Amino acid sequence: MLSVKDLQVQIEDKSILKGINLEIKPGEVHAIMGPNGSGKSTLANVLAGREEYEVTGGSVEYLGEDLLEMEVDERALAGIFMAFQYPVEIPGVSTSNFLKSIVNASRKSKGLEELNALQMLKLIREKIKMVDMDEKFLKRSLNEGFSGGEKKRSEMLQMALLEPQLAVLDETDSGLDIDALRIVAEAVNKLRTQDRSFIVVTHYQRLLNYIVPDFVHVLYNGRIVKSGDKSLALELEEKGYDWIKQEADAVSAL
Amino acid sequence: MTTIVQDRYAEVKDRFQQLFVQQEERLNGLKDQPLHDIRRKAMDRLKEQAFPTRRDEEWKYTSVNRVLQPNYQEGNKASLTAEDIAPYLIDGLDVHLLVFVNGIFEPGLSSNGNTAAGLTIIDLNQALQEDKFKEAAQLQLDKLILESDDPFRSLNGAFIRNGLFFHVSANMVIEKPVFCLNLATPGNEAALINHTKLVTAERNSELTIIEAYYELPGSEGTYFDNVAAYFQVDENAHVHHYRIQQEGKNAFFISNIDIEQDSDSTYSSYVVDLGARLVRNNMNALHLNKGITTNYYAAYFGKGEQHIDNHTFIDHAVPHCQSNELYKGILTDKARGVFNGKVLVRRDAQKTNAFQQNSSLVLSDKAVMDSKPQLEIYADDVRCSHGATIGQLDEPSVFYLRSRGLSDAAARVMLQQAFIAEAVEEMKHEEMIAYAEDLIIKKFEE
Repeated sequence: MLSVKDLQVQIEDKSILKGINLEIKPGEVHAIMGPNGSGKSTLANVLAGREEYEVTGGSVEYLGEDLLEMEVDERALAGIFMAFQYPVEIPGVSTSNFLKSIVNASRKSKGLEELNALQMLKLIREKIKMVDMDEKFLKRSLNEGFSGGEKKRSEMLQMALLEPQLAVLDETDSGLDIDALRIVAEAVNKLRTQDRSFIVVTHYQRLLNYIVPDFVHVLYNGRIVKSGDKSLALELEEKGYDWIKQEADAVSAL
Repeated sequence: MTTIVQDRYAEVKDRFQQLFVQQEERLNGLKDQPLHDIRRKAMDRLKEQAFPTRRDEEWKYTSVNRVLQPNYQEGNKASLTAEDIAPYLIDGLDVHLLVFVNGIFEPGLSSNGNTAAGLTIIDLNQALQEDKFKEAAQLQLDKLILESDDPFRSLNGAFIRNGLFFHVSANMVIEKPVFCLNLATPGNEAALINHTKLVTAERNSELTIIEAYYELPGSEGTYFDNVAAYFQVDENAHVHHYRIQQEGKNAFFISNIDIEQDSDSTYSSYVVDLGARLVRNNMNALHLNKGITTNYYAAYFGKGEQHIDNHTFIDHAVPHCQSNELYKGILTDKARGVFNGKVLVRRDAQKTNAFQQNSSLVLSDKAVMDSKPQLEIYADDVRCSHGATIGQLDEPSVFYLRSRGLSDAAARVMLQQAFIAEAVEEMKHEEMIAYAEDLIIKKFEE
């Protein structure tokens, strides 16, 4: 589904990613972990299509297409969903209108008919229940004045409505309370299917108590220095990142 | 030796004088009616007045030169059908419809029969002859036109054609809005299209007036809408006044609206300016007694070389009154916007609550916005706030919307629409919000 090969990225002449390799198959959940400054959020942002990042080498293929050549909206329509850690607040755009627009934009790109008001309401009601969100938020401006947990629910609701092929969850920083983690985890677990893949970017292991990953990758200094199964995450939780850093630094000193 | 200062617009005024003579020929037998006395006095005043130049502080950013250059003729009659006007009607809103084509009333296209009980709508000429109304009509015309130094008001007075007199009797709540639909079908000759309205809402009454201005498709001529209206809102009366303006590319639109309010009354203005080459709106509210609320809500959207100038004035002359002003607009291409919001809080006007906000999105290098809040406060126990912001679209928001599959263009339109929607959503009637938003969306698609 997603094939990242020797991906190198820099911002303002500073090299951040120095050759990332990653293979994601349908239905797999990959966790990307690593200490602060390792390049985790850069990886998420490059997949999302942020333009401030300059790709200097390597390739990213998504469903056989060159992802790096795709515009942000093309990526979304092709089935990639990016759950942001800090979604922007957009005053004046009502949540319900926004949801209608994105659902219909997605349907249109798939050659499906747009939903009418009644069908849309039914669909939104069904999904809003799934993420346990209050319907009153539909009338409010998108994310405006939402608490951290409410913003997470709003992101997960969008994910549930768009039914992506690949979801990238950026939970890089700390500061998320346990409720917010649970909201994300429950939504992900409900949406896990045989063909849908997830990349969960996280600093702490605790999110992975709720979302059990198939693979765990540790990023350090712009490279994946260790990959394993869920037990690697537990090991990191127990021992921290220092042993990984030492191992990696020893290798690069050779 | 004396120096004769050349009146820059002497020739323009000569042309209006010639047009006045032509009007008199057309009126022929009607010249002895009381309305013509008003016209004549207004014309005499115009001869003595000077059109503003950019040296006048109030016209610093707006030159009327372009407006005054054409050789104007009176608007011509045009025969339209119900089909022609259908696209401009308001979905779902039951109204009393009055249709004007090039400033001329079209009874055949308008609602038949009487208006609601308690509401009188008659021609100004008739109002000036009816015992019940003539005093009010005369007084209001004096204030609006004959006592003003503004040449555009005099010009309006000199060419009053199908002016209207509205009167709501005390204690009458008129549920059905009056919809004045103004359509222009300009030809090869530049047309002077006059709109004059006098409105009285007696105590405890309520009235909604909707004005809409459009140029019919297929015609792209030059014309000048000269609008003057006077609102007398008595004790505890409530007036909702909509003005939706989507005139043509070569239209000029100048309006002068005066509002005089008595205790506990409300006047709310909802303006949407989308069309015309040049727009200048002057809104003036005077508070006579306590407990008054004045609301000015406006959305404007300028493209191409449009010029949209809003001058507002609220005279807080007495205590315990409030005013809310929200002007939101978008300017792109080479469009230019002006906002000048004056709030005067006189020494006696304690406990005044005045809020004013003007925010504009300026979306191209060549678009310009000049915003000037002007608060003069002479009372000490008041709450007055004002703000002016001029900015661009928030790029992180654009990115966020695109990351959900909306195209760059769709994302930008959604954000721009949301920006001006704030002012539109203040409208009292949901049907009007939908009507206005629909027009705004169409303008994005242009």
